[in-house]
Amino acid sequence: MREKMKLKIGIYGLTSCYGCQLRMASVKDILEISNNFEIVCWKMMSSKGEIEQCDIAFVEGSVTTEKDEEEIKMIREKSKIVVAMGSCAIHGGVQGSLLGEDYKKIFKEVYGENSIDYKAKIGEPLKKYIKVDYNLPGCPPEENEVVYYLATFGMGTYPEEKDYPVCAECRRNGYPCLLIEKNEPCLGPIIVAGCNARCPAHNVACIGCRGALQHNVAWFDSLAITFKNRGINKEEIKKRMEIFCKQSEKIEEIIEKVFG
Amino acid sequence: MKIEREIRNDHLARIEGKAGVVVEIGEKINARINVTEGPRFFEVLARNRKYEDVPSICSRICSFCSIPHKLTPIEAIENALSIEVSEQTKEIRNMLYFGNVVESHALHLLLFVLPDYLGFADAFSMAKNYQDLMKKGLLLKNFGAMVQEIIGKREIHPENPVVGGFGKLPEEKEIKKIIYGGKEAVRASIELVDFMVEYEYPSFMNMERNHLSIKPYSGYGVYGDEIVASDGNKFKINEYKNNIEERVIPYSFSKGSYYKNSPFMVGALSRLVNNGSLIDGSAKDLLNKYSNFIRADNCFANNFAQAVEMVYFIEKIVEIAEKIKIKKEEKAKGGKSGHGFAVTEAPRGILIYEVEIEDEIVKYMNVITPTAMFLPMMERDAENMARGMWNNGYRDVELIGKKVEMAIRAYDPCISCSVHAVKK
Repeated sequence: MREKMKLKIGIYGLTSCYGCQLRMASVKDILEISNNFEIVCWKMMSSKGEIEQCDIAFVEGSVTTEKDEEEIKMIREKSKIVVAMGSCAIHGGVQGSLLGEDYKKIFKEVYGENSIDYKAKIGEPLKKYIKVDYNLPGCPPEENEVVYYLATFGMGTYPEEKDYPVCAECRRNGYPCLLIEKNEPCLGPIIVAGCNARCPAHNVACIGCRGALQHNVAWFDSLAITFKNRGINKEEIKKRMEIFCKQSEKIEEIIEKVFG
Repeated sequence: MKIEREIRNDHLARIEGKAGVVVEIGEKINARINVTEGPRFFEVLARNRKYEDVPSICSRICSFCSIPHKLTPIEAIENALSIEVSEQTKEIRNMLYFGNVVESHALHLLLFVLPDYLGFADAFSMAKNYQDLMKKGLLLKNFGAMVQEIIGKREIHPENPVVGGFGKLPEEKEIKKIIYGGKEAVRASIELVDFMVEYEYPSFMNMERNHLSIKPYSGYGVYGDEIVASDGNKFKINEYKNNIEERVIPYSFSKGSYYKNSPFMVGALSRLVNNGSLIDGSAKDLLNKYSNFIRADNCFANNFAQAVEMVYFIEKIVEIAEKIKIKKEEKAKGGKSGHGFAVTEAPRGILIYEVEIEDEIVKYMNVITPTAMFLPMMERDAENMARGMWNNGYRDVELIGKKVEMAIRAYDPCISCSVHAVKK
């Protein structure tokens, strides 16, 4: 009887570095997790299983090829809940920062006049193609976040997404402020928390890998004044923010608001 | 041409990234490996950006080898800007790099390869019957991960290594953890090598092959500035474009590389073929004991080579950790413009970065990854396997397909890595 009550999960990858799946695979209790869920499909880890009916689909990667597009639509159709896992799936990821570039031109730079049998384009987040139910942020997500998401679903409830920035965790830990005390281009004020301010903890300014906060909250204004006062130029900050956040909602607005 | 059989798998399981394989069996047998993972244009992403931000972008090329894709662009940038890092930084980077090789090899052998050998669809089902093996594998994987966590401050895509040094140096108590964990890991890795020799390599895969690797600066290390080939040739890294030619493959988003107009191998086996004499410690004893398992002519020897390398790299990590006395130091600094190269030994083989920087802004970058290098040879081995099986009387397409996949997995392909490259 118990077997039948296990939630069915599918773990899928579109165009990405496969880091979110690797994060999932290397969760310390992965064997226990695999015993408590029924994994219907996980190509990176298993020779069995295709895209099948399941309760929860975890999808990493951005939609970059026609095949990705077909797959994500099929995954949506067959899954009750879809979780966008990681920066590529939520915001388009690093490859998504090419948005606005002339695709034909860069394709030609790489492949010359040759044509390739498959069609591709600039990577886009899942939400451009399907309805996404939850976001599991990170590049890759933290181990405790992966476990938290699995555990909440397992208990029949749902995970709560964080709506406060890396700065909150950084301050709480009492780390020196890289932005104010060391004049470094730290993106902590606008990036979604959950990493426990990993990078500021070792004196490295936040590069924004978890993506921008989903809501336009007050910190942006404070950041604007701080960056300006510190003399960090617009182009440098823009380029830096765009590594992970180019496709996130409001990013243009944020940058304009920050620098005018 | 009438095709008798076609074997098609659009999404190979248990590899990193997305690729398929098509084998046609007719008058001739030929195989195509279709890399369907979308192009990600990392060289374009790096352009017109401050050099400090570039290694963080590059590390996202691949998660399994995010350390090589972080440390190699750092090395290329330092080469371009004449930044001389301290001996201490070099040693800590070595530990970090070796930790990644250990984790990557452990993951590959445990999760991707051994289920094949033992007849399981995945490590989860294998774990039920082989608890002890799984425990050893996880111990090795976790040790590699711990080293990366301690030094890189994150196991995947660590942001602590930066141009000129590290954001934060590891503390003494953390180094002690590495020594303690390493001693246990050495034992597990030796036992894994003993386990790997249970398997015979199919002799129809034997074929003359060229192996490319670096000539390490010291020992059996992962840094160097010269590439050596098993045919006796060698060349400096800044000559790579004259020796390694990349070609577009119409059915793949990845390019394929050629050396002297022919496919070639890189990776653990190539390193042992070219540099095996530089190995010491327990790994040397194992190499002597099992010398006939390092076969330059058979791709399956690559998995055995990975197991031996794990022993070596774990012992080296412990050796460095026992010797090092961490001193506080400032990050090294250098110029603002220049043209630099770097080549290192990523788990899957040589990884080349070239970078041009003008006034702190990256103007040009080129990357050639191991998977793009061995792709044409891997395709040939997929054919060798299908042909060997067919000629030996096998007609079960599913079985031949499974064996073709095993030949591909022997290379430990990293498909995410392969999708790249900008011409100049």
